[in-house]
Amino acid sequence: MVDVTRRHFIGTAAALAAPAIIRPAWAADTVKLGCLFSSSGTMANIEGRLNHVVRMAADGINAKGGVNGRRIEVVTSDPASDWPLYAQIGRQMLQQEKVAALFGCWTSVSRKSVLPVVEQNDGLLFYPLHFEGDENSKNVVYVNSPPASSVLPAVDYLMGAEGVGAKRFFMIGSDYVWPRTINKQLKAYWASKGVAATAWREEYVPLGFSNFQTLVNQIRSFAAEPGGQPIVVLTVVGSSIPDFLREFANQGIRATDVPILGLDMVEADLEGLDTAPLVGHLNCWAYLQAAKAEANTRFLADWAAYVKAKSVPFSADTVIDPMVSAYDSVQLWALAAAKAGSFDVPEVRKAFAGLSFADPSGYTLTMTGENNYVARGVFIGSVNEKQGFDILWQSPDASKPVPFSPYG
Amino acid sequence: MVESLKSWLCGAILLVAGLMQPAFGASPSFERAGFAVGLCGDGAAQSRVLDALIRSSGEVTAEDLAFAGILLGGLLERRLVCLGDTAVLLEKAGAPDGREVVSGGVRSTNGGRSPVLGLRQRGLVETALGISALIAGETVELRRKGLAAVERRMAGVPDAVLVRAQDNESDAGLKTAIGVAAQGAALSSPDPARRLAAIRAVAEALSGAAFSRLSALKSDPAYRADPAFRAALEAAIAKVERAVWIGNGLALLYNGLSFASILFMAAAGLAIIFGLMGVINLAQGEFIMVGAYAAYAVQEAFRRFAPGFLDLYLLAAIPVAFFAAAMVGIVIEALILRHLYRRPLMSLLATWAVSLFLINFVRVVFGSQNLQFAMPSYVSGGVPLYADFIVTWNRLFAIAFAAITLVLTLLILKRSPLGLDIRAVTQNRDMAACLGIRTRRVDRLAFGFGSGLAGLAGVALCPIYSVNPGMGATFIVDSFMVVVLGGVGTVIGTLVAALGIGGANVLIEPFYGAVAAKVIVLVGIILFLQRRPEGLFAVRRRR
Amino acid sequence: MLAAVIGLVLAGALAILLLQPAPYLVNMVGQLAAFAILAVSLDLVWGYLGILSLGHGLFFAIGGYVCAMHLLSHAYAVTGVAPDLMQFMGWKTLPIYWSGLASAPYALVVALVLSAAIAFLFGYASFRSRVNGVYFSIISQALVYVAMLLMFRNDTGLGGNNGMTGFPLLFGYPIGAPGMVTGLAVATLLALALILVVTRALVVGRIGRRMLACRDDEARLRTLGYSTTRLKLWIWCLSATIAAIAGILYVPQVGIINPRVLSPDLSIEIAVWVAIGGMGRLGGAVIGAVAVNALKFWLSAAMPEVWPFILSGLVLVVVLGLPNGLLDLAALRLKPTWLRRGGRLG
Repeated sequence: MVDVTRRHFIGTAAALAAPAIIRPAWAADTVKLGCLFSSSGTMANIEGRLNHVVRMAADGINAKGGVNGRRIEVVTSDPASDWPLYAQIGRQMLQQEKVAALFGCWTSVSRKSVLPVVEQNDGLLFYPLHFEGDENSKNVVYVNSPPASSVLPAVDYLMGAEGVGAKRFFMIGSDYVWPRTINKQLKAYWASKGVAATAWREEYVPLGFSNFQTLVNQIRSFAAEPGGQPIVVLTVVGSSIPDFLREFANQGIRATDVPILGLDMVEADLEGLDTAPLVGHLNCWAYLQAAKAEANTRFLADWAAYVKAKSVPFSADTVIDPMVSAYDSVQLWALAAAKAGSFDVPEVRKAFAGLSFADPSGYTLTMTGENNYVARGVFIGSVNEKQGFDILWQSPDASKPVPFSPYG
Repeated sequence: MVESLKSWLCGAILLVAGLMQPAFGASPSFERAGFAVGLCGDGAAQSRVLDALIRSSGEVTAEDLAFAGILLGGLLERRLVCLGDTAVLLEKAGAPDGREVVSGGVRSTNGGRSPVLGLRQRGLVETALGISALIAGETVELRRKGLAAVERRMAGVPDAVLVRAQDNESDAGLKTAIGVAAQGAALSSPDPARRLAAIRAVAEALSGAAFSRLSALKSDPAYRADPAFRAALEAAIAKVERAVWIGNGLALLYNGLSFASILFMAAAGLAIIFGLMGVINLAQGEFIMVGAYAAYAVQEAFRRFAPGFLDLYLLAAIPVAFFAAAMVGIVIEALILRHLYRRPLMSLLATWAVSLFLINFVRVVFGSQNLQFAMPSYVSGGVPLYADFIVTWNRLFAIAFAAITLVLTLLILKRSPLGLDIRAVTQNRDMAACLGIRTRRVDRLAFGFGSGLAGLAGVALCPIYSVNPGMGATFIVDSFMVVVLGGVGTVIGTLVAALGIGGANVLIEPFYGAVAAKVIVLVGIILFLQRRPEGLFAVRRRR
Repeated sequence: MLAAVIGLVLAGALAILLLQPAPYLVNMVGQLAAFAILAVSLDLVWGYLGILSLGHGLFFAIGGYVCAMHLLSHAYAVTGVAPDLMQFMGWKTLPIYWSGLASAPYALVVALVLSAAIAFLFGYASFRSRVNGVYFSIISQALVYVAMLLMFRNDTGLGGNNGMTGFPLLFGYPIGAPGMVTGLAVATLLALALILVVTRALVVGRIGRRMLACRDDEARLRTLGYSTTRLKLWIWCLSATIAAIAGILYVPQVGIINPRVLSPDLSIEIAVWVAIGGMGRLGGAVIGAVAVNALKFWLSAAMPEVWPFILSGLVLVVVLGLPNGLLDLAALRLKPTWLRRGGRLG
């Protein structure tokens, strides 16, 4: 008995040590980048794509000779949509695999979970999602936009004459930090514009909620009340988005009656939906697939080719903002590492100042070095009948990001 | 609605080719080329020509309105391509060439772009299309749809349009309807008689919007000054309020029923399996998923072999999903659960492992994204039934489906030899075995039947929820609560529990939100079960 | 067998102190030890009383949440920097139910008493009306599910979906320092050893015999005049308290607590660890928890695609072929003791 137990423990210990033995870390001719995107669990559908994008970006850089004479090796993992596991694997990647940078996290909670890990180990996490802002760590590169630089322009558009002159707002979101922070900032913003508090309504549903019948009924009666043009500010995430849209369309509400501004709505959420009755609803991101830029054409072609070549289990012709942001992340890191001539995090971080990169959105991303935020453009997209978004409006240039919102 | 308008307009394209000669009867206020160029401009230009068209639509000739309608229909469908100073209308979106809108000449679309509509412009387009159909529509049906579109956006429609439409209308019923709509537009008219008529007309609508419009009149000076006005208004408001109230009550009932039918579908198979074998089948949700994926496979088969009958795939999927899930269930029973009947807690873990396996297997084979379903018309959209109460087809489909499942299950359990065996084994396994019933075989068939019911639930859920590998996981706790609350082994108990839970959830949700509703209901069930572990309806059985 | 496990646990603690391995490895060992404590707590009620709780994550979470509240309010008291949570909720001060939690002993008492009290209420209601077997499992699963929904609610005031993260200090020292990581891991290992010693003393004694009797034939034991309700209630509360200890030790090591620990899946997984290791034996629970989680940590980084298949395969093999879990592999060398017979019923 004793023997078995001991053998077992030894076996486990060996298993744990195995990766380090098989794959000598920090090999002379490669540099490792780590991915923290789930390929199973609730986030798998959207996060899973990003693993492949990071690989594709690395392949592209390797084809041009790598960085500082080293080939990039991408280490992927599966945190299985389990937040503590993101931290655990992140720690493992930084300490054992000695990755030069991490690319990962979709939800705020996974980022919050990894944050102490990268801070304690002085690592670098590239975070490709738009998020609630109000955070500024020297160990995280916020590749996408905080609300003040992305959401407010879209709301302004809807309130203006060019949009629908929105006067009343029905906010419906998943119950967590990102929707609540956005809504808090929006309310403060409206208040600053003299909108009365009676003009908005706020509802939250649990993550993964799907039964939107009652809420859509409520939206209809809200729309029937007097007081001016209503809009829905939708901050539900994940599988709740298509379920909400389906119910909304089935109850016969059109975009011209009550438009939805879906802040987390991407092309992938429309997969599997009949979008004809949804045409005209809006989203806003720093990239839309329809962006007119040479870099975008190239990116779309590369992705389609990559999906085909590696038989990636995702759609070859759907590209969403976080995919492009993950791609940008790798490029920004490579540029910074090349500029620094080193893979050491402090050196790379110093090289961020003045970095610029023309990404697929058609804007030139820039970093100032004041903080780890990246200046991005803003697109407002309008749902079309082909499960995609047409570009309704886009910002004249990539605006300087505002990490801490002046509202709320 | 607008879709059918568009398709008519598309069909009429040849007819109007004749009208495309440099305008004979064109009124001076409408200029075809300018209109087309305007539509090709930026948002401001689009708004300008659309506003102008709508404002003057009382006078513009019917031919011009029809012309505008064709252009706007093309614009919505992305069949309008702008080429510098002119526009080309395509037969089909993406076609290489089309007809120049004013001259009718064939032009290549090379280098052209189809304009994107802003929300404001989209609203104007819908209004203009409605007006065009109402006045220049060829058939009564089209004009009726035009009226519906116009009524939706009444605020932006000039009075002259309705007057003109009423004068021109040949169909008596439609003429009256237009009259009512026209009266309703006169709510703020200075003429007291017209106002009273308007109040009555608006009250015909029986909607929340009508209620808001009427209630706003309470602050009108006439409300204090004129008793006739006051009486008419109050009667109208009371009428609308009552109707809206009833409509909301119906909606509540409908929501509760549809949620209950989903719960029932998810739980029915579980009730049989749990009742018969005492097996906690944690893979039941994944059988639902298997059913949904089977429906997807049927859809793909229809796409390939019988694209003309694609709309029927959902019905054809019913038996396929049932047998697919039943087969998976029977295989699992034969390979795994058979060995675990004496250890129910171990079978619980085994089914958990099966569910983990199925989720990941499907994920590896099909990917983790939502499946693309082409929803047939009988499960998309809805129809307003009374006041603001809308019956949505997909939910009705699920309710009907649940009802049929219930009847079939009861028939099989109460009227078939297998049902007799199942009931016998459920009540007293040893005695049934003594009487010569092959209980193991009954177990397997019943497990297959229960799994098949879950597969059916998968078909019913396709039009309502997104289909992906993880879809089943959300049902497990809820459906177990339904089964245990109802009492193990009774289908009727399961039904009553599903109705109760669904109803309670829907009743509480508007007041405390969706999360609190779930929490309150679940806590209630837990407390109830602590007092009465055997559930609402207990089958007498020997354990 | 158990002595060997305890010996290995202590040896592990010693090895960490002497060899000073990489911090992430130390941290992982510490987490594994916390999971092992959790598994022991479940084994105590499942293996020895026949009560399968599918809601043990609840007690783990109570320990974890109270610990997290302590860490946040302690750091707030020491550094004066308001935690993210306060800023996000718009709180000027921490609400009333946080008061006093900056003191570690008070927080410890709160965690243990709270978990025991909730366990008592739920257990009392269930055992008195003789809810048992799979019914108990289902209802306890519903309980943990309700708790999860509640904690996901932002207005519950404990961080909602994001839970609580970013703990800078423990007892006034930076929480990420290598010394602190080592200290936490060693403390968890020692706690595991201590809990194993105590629970073993319990299960081999008179109470243990009564527990097995209750598991094997509750009606007979009751007829013989023993109050099975009281027995079950005591052990149930003890088990809940141990689970809470596991939660307390777990949170500072992973640096986050969020409602996901309340998901029904995690609670089922605890049962899976116990089943794989071998239920009805304390050592089995430890081995199961350590083996499954070590495998999970390793595979989800090294071969992410295959981990779910391996886990499901492992469960099926154990359930079908090795009713006593991995310990069955050594069954040939095992004396036929009451312990062995004990594992047969599931």
